[in-house]
Amino acid sequence: MPLKVPQSIRHPNWRFIFAALVGAAILHICATMAAPYLTAESAYSRLAPALPINKVRILEPIAPGAEPLPFFPPDVRYAMCRFDTSKGPVSVAATLPADTGWTITVHAPNGNNLYAAASNPGRPTPISLLFIPSSEQFLGVTPEARGIARSTQPPQAISAARGIVILRGPQKGIAYTRYIDAELKKIACSGPKF
Amino acid sequence: MLSHSSLTPIQIGLHKVQKRIAFYLGILSDWATFIGTVLILGLGTSWYMIDVGSPLTTKQQGPWTGWVSAGRSDADPYTRAHFARLGSLQLSTELIKTYVAERDDDGGRLHSSCEYVVEGSLLDTDWWSLTAFDDRGELIPNSAKRFSYTSDTVAVRPDGSFIASLGRDARPGNWLPTGGAGSLTLVLTTLDPGTPLLDDANGTQLSLPEIRRLKCR
Repeated sequence: MPLKVPQSIRHPNWRFIFAALVGAAILHICATMAAPYLTAESAYSRLAPALPINKVRILEPIAPGAEPLPFFPPDVRYAMCRFDTSKGPVSVAATLPADTGWTITVHAPNGNNLYAAASNPGRPTPISLLFIPSSEQFLGVTPEARGIARSTQPPQAISAARGIVILRGPQKGIAYTRYIDAELKKIACSGPKF
Repeated sequence: MLSHSSLTPIQIGLHKVQKRIAFYLGILSDWATFIGTVLILGLGTSWYMIDVGSPLTTKQQGPWTGWVSAGRSDADPYTRAHFARLGSLQLSTELIKTYVAERDDDGGRLHSSCEYVVEGSLLDTDWWSLTAFDDRGELIPNSAKRFSYTSDTVAVRPDGSFIASLGRDARPGNWLPTGGAGSLTLVLTTLDPGTPLLDDANGTQLSLPEIRRLKCR
Protein backbone atom coordinates (compact mmCIF):
# COMPACT_ATOMS: atom_id res chain seq x y z
CA MET A 1 0.00 0.00 0.00
CA PRO A 2 1.58 3.30 -1.03
CA LEU A 3 2.33 5.76 1.78
CA LYS A 4 -0.01 8.72 1.76
CA VAL A 5 2.00 11.94 1.75
CA PRO A 6 0.19 14.78 3.53
CA GLN A 7 -1.02 17.66 1.42
CA SER A 8 1.14 20.15 3.36
CA ILE A 9 4.30 18.23 2.45
CA ARG A 10 3.34 17.57 -1.18
CA HIS A 11 2.55 21.23 -1.68
CA PRO A 12 4.48 23.19 0.97
CA ASN A 13 3.54 26.78 1.51
CA TRP A 14 6.90 28.34 0.70
CA ARG A 15 5.71 31.81 1.63
CA PHE A 16 4.80 30.53 5.11
CA ILE A 17 8.12 28.69 5.52
CA PHE A 18 10.13 31.73 4.42
CA ALA A 19 8.18 34.08 6.71
CA ALA A 20 8.57 31.68 9.66
CA LEU A 21 12.32 31.39 9.10
CA VAL A 22 12.73 35.17 8.86
CA GLY A 23 10.57 35.67 11.97
CA ALA A 24 12.54 33.01 13.88
CA ALA A 25 15.84 34.58 12.85
CA ILE A 26 14.71 38.02 14.06
CA LEU A 27 13.49 36.56 17.37
CA HIS A 28 16.73 34.55 17.74
CA ILE A 29 18.85 37.69 17.36
CA CYS A 30 16.63 39.77 19.69
CA ALA A 31 16.55 37.04 22.38
CA THR A 32 20.33 36.52 22.22
CA MET A 33 21.13 40.24 22.38
CA ALA A 34 18.63 40.81 25.20
CA ALA A 35 19.71 37.79 27.30
CA PRO A 36 22.54 39.58 29.21
CA TYR A 37 20.09 42.31 30.26
CA LEU A 38 17.39 39.88 31.35
CA THR A 39 19.48 38.15 34.03
CA ALA A 40 18.45 38.82 37.60
CA GLU A 41 21.90 39.94 38.80
CA SER A 42 25.19 40.30 36.99
CA ALA A 43 28.48 39.34 38.62
CA TYR A 44 29.34 43.04 39.03
CA SER A 45 26.05 43.90 40.73
CA ARG A 46 26.48 40.96 43.13
CA LEU A 47 30.03 41.91 44.08
CA ALA A 48 29.65 45.71 44.14
CA PRO A 49 27.62 46.14 47.38
CA ALA A 50 30.33 44.42 49.42
CA LEU A 51 33.19 46.48 47.98
CA PRO A 52 33.98 50.06 49.04
CA ILE A 53 34.56 52.46 46.14
CA ASN A 54 38.21 53.21 45.26
CA LYS A 55 39.49 51.14 48.18
CA VAL A 56 41.04 47.68 48.39
CA ARG A 57 39.27 44.86 50.15
CA ILE A 58 40.91 41.50 50.73
CA LEU A 59 38.33 38.73 50.68
CA GLU A 60 38.27 35.98 53.26
CA PRO A 61 39.14 32.52 51.93
CA ILE A 62 36.21 31.21 49.90
CA ALA A 63 34.15 28.67 51.83
CA PRO A 64 30.89 26.78 51.14
CA GLY A 65 27.87 29.00 51.71
CA ALA A 66 29.98 32.17 51.45
CA GLU A 67 30.80 32.17 47.75
CA PRO A 68 30.26 35.65 46.33
CA LEU A 69 29.47 34.25 42.86
CA PRO A 70 28.65 30.88 41.30
CA PHE A 71 31.66 28.86 40.11
CA PHE A 72 33.97 31.12 42.13
CA PRO A 73 37.35 29.32 42.40
CA PRO A 74 38.22 28.59 46.05
CA ASP A 75 41.89 27.85 45.38
CA VAL A 76 42.79 31.52 45.05
CA ARG A 77 42.83 34.45 47.51
CA TYR A 78 41.38 37.71 46.23
CA ALA A 79 42.06 41.42 46.72
CA MET A 80 39.46 43.60 45.00
CA CYS A 81 39.06 47.29 44.31
CA ARG A 82 35.81 48.65 42.92
CA PHE A 83 36.65 51.83 41.09
CA ASP A 84 34.45 54.71 40.00
CA THR A 85 35.93 57.50 37.90
CA SER A 86 32.88 59.79 37.97
CA LYS A 87 34.69 62.19 40.37
CA GLY A 88 38.15 61.82 38.85
CA PRO A 89 40.86 59.36 37.82
CA VAL A 90 41.67 56.32 39.95
CA SER A 91 45.12 54.77 40.10
CA VAL A 92 45.97 51.19 40.96
CA ALA A 93 49.47 49.93 41.70
CA ALA A 94 50.37 46.31 42.37
CA THR A 95 53.32 44.00 42.03
CA LEU A 96 52.81 40.44 40.94
CA PRO A 97 55.40 38.39 42.83
CA ALA A 98 58.00 36.22 41.09
CA ASP A 99 55.75 33.18 41.36
CA THR A 100 53.26 31.19 39.26
CA GLY A 101 49.50 31.60 39.26
CA TRP A 102 49.22 35.27 40.28
CA THR A 103 46.97 37.38 38.06
CA ILE A 104 45.53 40.87 38.00
CA THR A 105 42.43 41.58 35.94
CA VAL A 106 40.13 44.53 35.42
CA HIS A 107 36.46 43.75 34.82
CA ALA A 108 33.90 46.13 33.36
CA PRO A 109 30.34 45.96 34.78
CA ASN A 110 29.28 43.89 31.74
CA GLY A 111 31.93 41.25 32.55
CA ASN A 112 34.46 42.18 29.87
CA ASN A 113 38.10 41.98 30.85
CA LEU A 114 39.57 45.45 30.26
CA TYR A 115 43.05 44.39 31.33
CA ALA A 116 44.68 41.13 32.34
CA ALA A 117 48.21 40.19 33.33
CA ALA A 118 49.84 37.13 34.89
CA SER A 119 52.90 36.82 37.09
CA ASN A 120 56.28 35.79 35.75
CA PRO A 121 58.12 33.18 37.88
CA GLY A 122 61.42 34.77 36.87
CA ARG A 123 60.90 38.27 38.23
CA PRO A 124 58.32 40.47 40.01
CA THR A 125 55.94 42.25 37.64
CA PRO A 126 55.05 45.82 38.64
CA ILE A 127 51.64 46.92 37.38
CA SER A 128 50.53 50.54 37.33
CA LEU A 129 47.08 51.39 35.98
CA LEU A 130 45.27 54.70 35.69
CA PHE A 131 41.52 54.62 35.16
CA ILE A 132 40.18 57.70 33.46
CA PRO A 133 36.53 58.55 32.91
CA SER A 134 36.91 59.26 29.19
CA SER A 135 39.78 58.91 26.79
CA GLU A 136 39.21 62.53 25.69
CA GLN A 137 39.12 64.10 29.15
CA PHE A 138 41.96 66.55 29.95
CA LEU A 139 43.73 65.41 33.10
CA GLY A 140 46.41 68.09 33.34
CA VAL A 141 49.78 68.59 31.71
CA THR A 142 52.05 65.56 31.81
CA PRO A 143 55.45 65.83 33.59
CA GLU A 144 57.16 65.46 30.21
CA ALA A 145 55.21 68.43 28.81
CA ARG A 146 56.41 70.49 31.81
CA GLY A 147 60.00 69.53 31.13
CA ILE A 148 60.26 67.11 34.05
CA ALA A 149 61.77 63.73 33.34
CA ARG A 150 59.82 60.81 34.78
CA SER A 151 61.67 58.61 37.21
CA THR A 152 59.12 55.84 36.92
CA GLN A 153 57.30 54.19 34.06
CA PRO A 154 54.03 56.02 33.28
CA PRO A 155 50.91 54.10 34.28
CA GLN A 156 48.82 52.37 31.68
CA ALA A 157 45.73 54.49 31.09
CA ILE A 158 42.41 52.66 30.77
CA SER A 159 39.21 54.47 29.90
CA ALA A 160 36.43 53.11 32.12
CA ALA A 161 33.66 54.68 34.19
CA ARG A 162 33.27 51.80 36.64
CA GLY A 163 34.65 48.33 37.21
CA ILE A 164 36.49 45.99 39.55
CA VAL A 165 40.22 45.28 39.78
CA ILE A 166 40.92 41.78 41.04
CA LEU A 167 44.30 40.57 42.23
CA ARG A 168 44.44 36.79 42.63
CA GLY A 169 47.01 34.86 44.61
CA PRO A 170 46.97 31.05 44.43
CA GLN A 171 46.44 29.18 47.70
CA LYS A 172 49.33 26.82 48.21
CA GLY A 173 48.54 25.62 51.70
CA ILE A 174 48.57 26.88 55.26
CA ALA A 175 52.33 27.47 55.24
CA TYR A 176 51.94 30.11 52.53
CA THR A 177 48.97 32.01 54.06
CA ARG A 178 51.04 34.86 55.56
CA TYR A 179 53.08 35.26 52.37
CA ILE A 180 49.94 35.44 50.20
CA ASP A 181 48.24 37.87 52.59
CA ALA A 182 51.33 40.10 52.59
CA GLU A 183 51.51 40.13 48.79
CA LEU A 184 47.77 40.87 48.46
CA LYS A 185 48.10 43.80 50.88
CA LYS A 186 50.62 45.45 48.59
CA ILE A 187 47.99 46.46 46.05
CA ALA A 188 47.08 50.14 46.29
CA CYS A 189 43.92 51.69 44.90
CA SER A 190 43.57 55.45 45.21
CA GLY A 191 41.07 57.91 43.85
CA PRO A 192 38.45 60.46 44.91
CA LYS A 193 36.50 59.60 48.06
CA PHE A 194 32.81 58.77 47.92
CA MET B 1 -29.70 17.02 1.59
CA LEU B 2 -31.67 20.23 1.80
CA SER B 3 -32.04 22.38 -1.25
CA HIS B 4 -31.61 26.15 -1.05
CA SER B 5 -35.26 26.69 -1.59
CA SER B 6 -36.18 24.58 1.45
CA LEU B 7 -33.92 26.57 3.85
CA THR B 8 -35.44 29.23 6.00
CA PRO B 9 -33.77 32.68 6.17
CA ILE B 10 -32.60 31.87 9.71
CA GLN B 11 -30.85 28.67 8.54
CA ILE B 12 -29.22 30.54 5.66
CA GLY B 13 -28.03 33.20 8.12
CA LEU B 14 -26.65 30.55 10.47
CA HIS B 15 -24.86 28.87 7.58
CA LYS B 16 -23.24 32.16 6.61
CA VAL B 17 -22.16 32.76 10.21
CA GLN B 18 -20.72 29.23 10.36
CA LYS B 19 -18.77 29.80 7.15
CA ARG B 20 -17.45 33.14 8.45
CA ILE B 21 -16.40 31.55 11.80
CA ALA B 22 -14.67 28.72 9.92
CA PHE B 23 -12.89 31.31 7.77
CA TYR B 24 -11.66 33.29 10.80
CA LEU B 25 -10.72 30.09 12.65
CA GLY B 26 -8.64 29.10 9.62
CA ILE B 27 -6.82 32.46 9.68
CA LEU B 28 -6.36 32.18 13.46
CA SER B 29 -5.00 28.66 13.11
CA ASP B 30 -2.56 29.78 10.40
CA TRP B 31 -1.33 32.63 12.61
CA ALA B 32 -1.08 30.36 15.66
CA THR B 33 0.99 27.89 13.64
CA PHE B 34 3.16 30.73 12.35
CA ILE B 35 3.71 32.29 15.79
CA GLY B 36 4.32 28.89 17.40
CA THR B 37 6.88 27.97 14.74
CA VAL B 38 8.64 31.34 15.09
CA LEU B 39 8.70 31.10 18.92
CA ILE B 40 9.95 27.51 19.02
CA LEU B 41 12.57 28.04 16.32
CA GLY B 42 13.72 31.50 17.47
CA LEU B 43 13.80 30.96 21.24
CA GLY B 44 14.84 27.31 21.02
CA THR B 45 17.88 27.94 18.85
CA SER B 46 18.82 30.99 20.94
CA TRP B 47 18.59 28.97 24.17
CA TYR B 48 20.66 26.14 22.67
CA MET B 49 23.39 28.45 21.39
CA ILE B 50 23.58 30.29 24.74
CA ASP B 51 23.33 27.29 27.05
CA VAL B 52 25.16 24.56 25.15
CA GLY B 53 27.14 26.48 22.55
CA SER B 54 28.24 25.44 19.10
CA PRO B 55 31.55 24.68 17.38
CA LEU B 56 31.64 28.41 16.54
CA THR B 57 31.70 29.46 20.20
CA THR B 58 33.06 26.48 22.12
CA LYS B 59 35.81 23.92 21.88
CA GLN B 60 35.34 20.43 23.16
CA GLN B 61 37.72 17.67 24.17
CA GLY B 62 36.16 14.57 25.68
CA PRO B 63 33.76 15.73 28.39
CA TRP B 64 35.43 19.16 28.71
CA THR B 65 33.95 22.26 27.11
CA GLY B 66 35.61 25.66 26.89
CA TRP B 67 34.12 28.90 25.57
CA VAL B 68 36.57 30.33 23.06
CA SER B 69 36.10 34.05 23.72
CA ALA B 70 35.00 34.06 27.38
CA GLY B 71 35.66 37.33 29.20
CA ARG B 72 37.04 39.07 26.14
CA SER B 73 35.87 42.43 24.88
CA ASP B 74 35.48 40.93 21.38
CA ALA B 75 33.30 38.08 22.68
CA ASP B 76 30.36 37.00 20.53
CA PRO B 77 26.79 37.62 21.80
CA TYR B 78 26.27 33.93 22.68
CA THR B 79 29.33 33.85 24.94
CA ARG B 80 28.30 37.14 26.60
CA ALA B 81 24.79 35.83 27.19
CA HIS B 82 26.09 32.46 28.47
CA PHE B 83 28.21 34.00 31.21
CA ALA B 84 25.69 36.72 32.02
CA ARG B 85 23.14 33.95 32.63
CA LEU B 86 25.60 32.02 34.79
CA GLY B 87 26.35 35.17 36.82
CA SER B 88 30.02 34.21 37.07
CA LEU B 89 33.00 36.50 36.66
CA GLN B 90 34.85 35.15 33.68
CA LEU B 91 38.54 35.60 33.07
CA SER B 92 39.75 36.43 29.60
CA THR B 93 40.75 33.38 27.57
CA GLU B 94 43.81 35.38 26.51
CA LEU B 95 45.12 34.68 30.02
CA ILE B 96 43.22 31.84 31.65
CA LYS B 97 41.30 29.00 30.06
CA THR B 98 38.33 27.51 31.85
CA TYR B 99 36.96 24.08 30.92
CA VAL B 100 33.74 22.70 32.36
CA ALA B 101 32.71 19.04 32.53
CA GLU B 102 29.25 17.87 33.53
CA ARG B 103 29.67 14.35 32.16
CA ASP B 104 32.24 11.57 32.38
CA ASP B 105 34.14 10.09 29.44
CA ASP B 106 31.25 7.68 28.75
CA GLY B 107 28.70 10.50 28.61
CA GLY B 108 27.08 9.80 31.99
CA ARG B 109 26.03 12.80 34.10
CA LEU B 110 28.52 13.41 36.95
CA HIS B 111 26.73 12.62 40.20
CA SER B 112 27.74 12.41 43.84
CA SER B 113 26.31 8.89 44.11
CA CYS B 114 29.14 7.66 41.87
CA GLU B 115 32.90 7.50 42.26
CA TYR B 116 35.18 8.91 39.59
CA VAL B 117 38.84 9.13 38.77
CA VAL B 118 40.26 12.20 37.05
CA GLU B 119 43.60 11.34 35.49
CA GLY B 120 45.90 13.37 33.32
CA SER B 121 48.98 15.44 32.92
CA LEU B 122 48.99 19.21 32.62
CA LEU B 123 52.74 19.79 32.63
CA ASP B 124 52.52 22.14 29.65
CA THR B 125 50.51 24.75 31.52
CA ASP B 126 51.99 27.35 33.89
CA TRP B 127 49.40 26.68 36.59
CA TRP B 128 46.11 24.79 36.82
CA SER B 129 43.31 24.07 39.24
CA LEU B 130 40.54 21.47 39.39
CA THR B 131 37.42 22.24 41.43
CA ALA B 132 34.25 20.26 42.10
CA PHE B 133 31.01 22.26 42.33
CA ASP B 134 27.39 21.22 42.59
CA ASP B 135 25.18 21.98 39.59
CA ARG B 136 24.41 25.50 40.92
CA GLY B 137 28.09 26.41 41.01
CA GLU B 138 28.40 26.19 44.81
CA LEU B 139 31.18 24.48 46.71
CA ILE B 140 30.41 21.12 48.27
CA PRO B 141 30.70 21.29 52.08
CA ASN B 142 32.93 18.60 53.58
CA SER B 143 34.72 18.04 56.87
CA ALA B 144 38.10 17.85 55.13
CA LYS B 145 37.52 21.39 53.79
CA ARG B 146 38.87 20.23 50.47
CA PHE B 147 37.28 21.77 47.40
CA SER B 148 39.97 21.77 44.73
CA TYR B 149 43.46 20.76 43.71
CA THR B 150 45.96 22.97 41.97
CA SER B 151 49.32 22.31 40.33
CA ASP B 152 50.79 23.52 43.65
CA THR B 153 48.79 21.23 45.93
CA VAL B 154 48.18 18.03 43.96
CA ALA B 155 50.34 14.96 44.61
CA VAL B 156 51.88 13.96 41.30
CA ARG B 157 53.38 10.69 40.10
CA PRO B 158 57.05 10.43 39.04
CA ASP B 159 56.12 11.16 35.41
CA GLY B 160 54.33 14.38 36.40
CA SER B 161 50.82 13.08 35.82
CA PHE B 162 48.18 13.03 38.54
CA ILE B 163 45.15 11.03 39.64
CA ALA B 164 42.35 12.65 41.64
CA SER B 165 39.47 10.66 43.11
CA LEU B 166 35.95 12.05 43.37
CA GLY B 167 33.58 10.36 45.77
CA ARG B 168 31.73 10.44 49.06
CA ASP B 169 34.15 8.22 50.93
CA ALA B 170 37.73 9.16 51.72
CA ARG B 171 40.37 7.84 49.33
CA PRO B 172 44.14 7.78 49.57
CA GLY B 173 45.95 10.37 47.49
CA ASN B 174 44.17 13.30 45.88
CA TRP B 175 40.58 12.98 47.05
CA LEU B 176 37.86 15.52 46.28
CA PRO B 177 34.82 14.87 48.50
CA THR B 178 31.48 15.09 46.71
CA GLY B 179 29.20 14.47 49.72
CA GLY B 180 25.53 14.43 48.81
CA ALA B 181 25.74 17.25 46.29
CA GLY B 182 23.70 15.50 43.60
CA SER B 183 24.72 16.52 40.09
CA LEU B 184 28.33 17.68 39.88
CA THR B 185 30.23 20.12 37.71
CA LEU B 186 34.00 19.95 37.39
CA VAL B 187 35.85 23.13 36.48
CA LEU B 188 39.41 22.98 35.21
CA THR B 189 41.29 26.26 34.97
CA THR B 190 44.65 26.55 33.24
CA LEU B 191 46.92 29.58 33.15
CA ASP B 192 48.36 29.87 29.63
CA PRO B 193 48.91 33.50 28.71
CA GLY B 194 48.77 34.10 24.97
CA THR B 195 47.87 30.58 23.83
CA PRO B 196 44.59 29.62 22.13
CA LEU B 197 42.03 27.42 23.87
CA LEU B 198 43.04 23.74 24.04
CA ASP B 199 46.58 24.57 22.84
CA ASP B 200 49.64 24.60 25.04
CA ALA B 201 52.47 27.14 24.98
CA ASN B 202 54.18 25.21 22.18
CA GLY B 203 51.08 25.35 19.98
CA THR B 204 50.35 21.63 20.30
CA GLN B 205 47.00 20.24 21.34
CA LEU B 206 46.60 20.34 25.11
CA SER B 207 45.51 17.00 26.52
CA LEU B 208 42.83 17.45 29.19
CA PRO B 209 42.37 14.87 31.97
CA GLU B 210 40.14 11.84 31.57
CA ILE B 211 37.10 11.44 33.82
CA ARG B 212 36.37 7.75 34.40
CA ARG B 213 33.43 6.42 36.39
CA LEU B 214 34.46 3.64 38.76
CA LYS B 215 31.14 2.63 40.32
CA CYS B 216 27.77 3.97 41.41
CA ARG B 217 25.72 3.21 44.49
